[in-house]
Amino acid sequence: MTELDFKHKMAAHCESGTITSLLNFGGLDITEPLVFGISGGIFFGYFHKMKSFAFPTFIVRNKPGQMRVDIEKRLGVKFKTYAFKDPASGMTALDDLIDRKIPTACQVDFFYLDYVPSWERVHINVHFMVVVGRQGTRYLISDAYFPKMVELEATSLQKGRFAGGEMSPKGFLYHLDRIPPEIDMKKAVERGIRKACFNMLKIPIPFLGIRGMRMFSRKILEWPAIARDTEHLSHEIMKINILLEDQGTGGAGFRFIYATFLQQASEILNKSELRDLSAELMLIGDGWREISLFAARIGKNRDLGAEKLKQLSDMIRDRADVEENFFRKLSKTV
Amino acid sequence: MDELKLEIKKLIMSTLAIDNVDPATVDDEKPLFGGGNALTLDSVDAIEIIMAIQRTYGIRINDQNLAREVIRSVNTIAAFITEQRNLQPS
Repeated sequence: MTELDFKHKMAAHCESGTITSLLNFGGLDITEPLVFGISGGIFFGYFHKMKSFAFPTFIVRNKPGQMRVDIEKRLGVKFKTYAFKDPASGMTALDDLIDRKIPTACQVDFFYLDYVPSWERVHINVHFMVVVGRQGTRYLISDAYFPKMVELEATSLQKGRFAGGEMSPKGFLYHLDRIPPEIDMKKAVERGIRKACFNMLKIPIPFLGIRGMRMFSRKILEWPAIARDTEHLSHEIMKINILLEDQGTGGAGFRFIYATFLQQASEILNKSELRDLSAELMLIGDGWREISLFAARIGKNRDLGAEKLKQLSDMIRDRADVEENFFRKLSKTV
Repeated sequence: MDELKLEIKKLIMSTLAIDNVDPATVDDEKPLFGGGNALTLDSVDAIEIIMAIQRTYGIRINDQNLAREVIRSVNTIAAFITEQRNLQPS
């Protein structure tokens, strides 16, 4: 098997984990929380009525693919990207990169990865993993969600890379092209913090940032009127738990990974107040985890009366209040 | 270690309000999820257990990838708690 000297590591999130492992392979000593924080990955958005979503939903990070773009801007590193219309040429291009010993990240639909247990497979078109070797029709994969490297058949890889639907991967590939000789890590960390504070506090769109959290808190009370029936409503309420905890968020909707970033940032910038804010964000994350648990419980028990939804709404509004206060304090540190 | 394992079984059962299972019948090695053990749990139960471990032992399991590994069985939970206790300054 063509195999590279690639160090596999588990990560909290597929995109930040993939970027981190490619940068580490290129010789840059950087952690996943730093990649996440410098890219300004923490976010919130609530989408009540959007064509792309059959039911209201929310996000807790910036849009897929944005982390790579922002890390390029702030660290000065460069990734080379490729997209393909034709699956055959997409597979040939990947083979060529692997044969040239270049670890290459692929965007795939998670559902087609046959190394994932069947009960965990869902259609998510924005999963990222790194191909690090191949032999015949078998590919060696470093997937940040798995403790060890895994193997995948070419047919499954091709299906995953060229799946249709919303945010279809179109065979998207990227690999590290260049790391500058000098990186101003302090400046990068500061810019990442500023970006996160802007996104959470000042972005002038009513459904994004803290305002998005408040909208979520109000609009969730309308969910019973939108859902087809109790079964549908319970499914959507339980998805809150999945979006906060289960989809590679590092726990509590990325709040824990961002707290770790602030801890590391406090050392880089030599600012003890960031360590205090890190501890505060851990507690804020615990509150999101309580929401996650509450939603899972009432959804599972079909206990979805007005009183319970009001309680859930209040819990979300409370997170908006504490996060507004938190990000205001954070914005004053840089 | 056996005491800790019994404590973990009791913690899981009290957290999830399970009163119809004898802790002695819960296999230490068999997975707690997906059937095959006297306690059969699901992903919603998982987060309750993670939070109960945090509250009871003061040990954080923030990352759900790690959490999935830790709460696989009574043995893996016990090993994790023991390891974390050893890491904490005395």
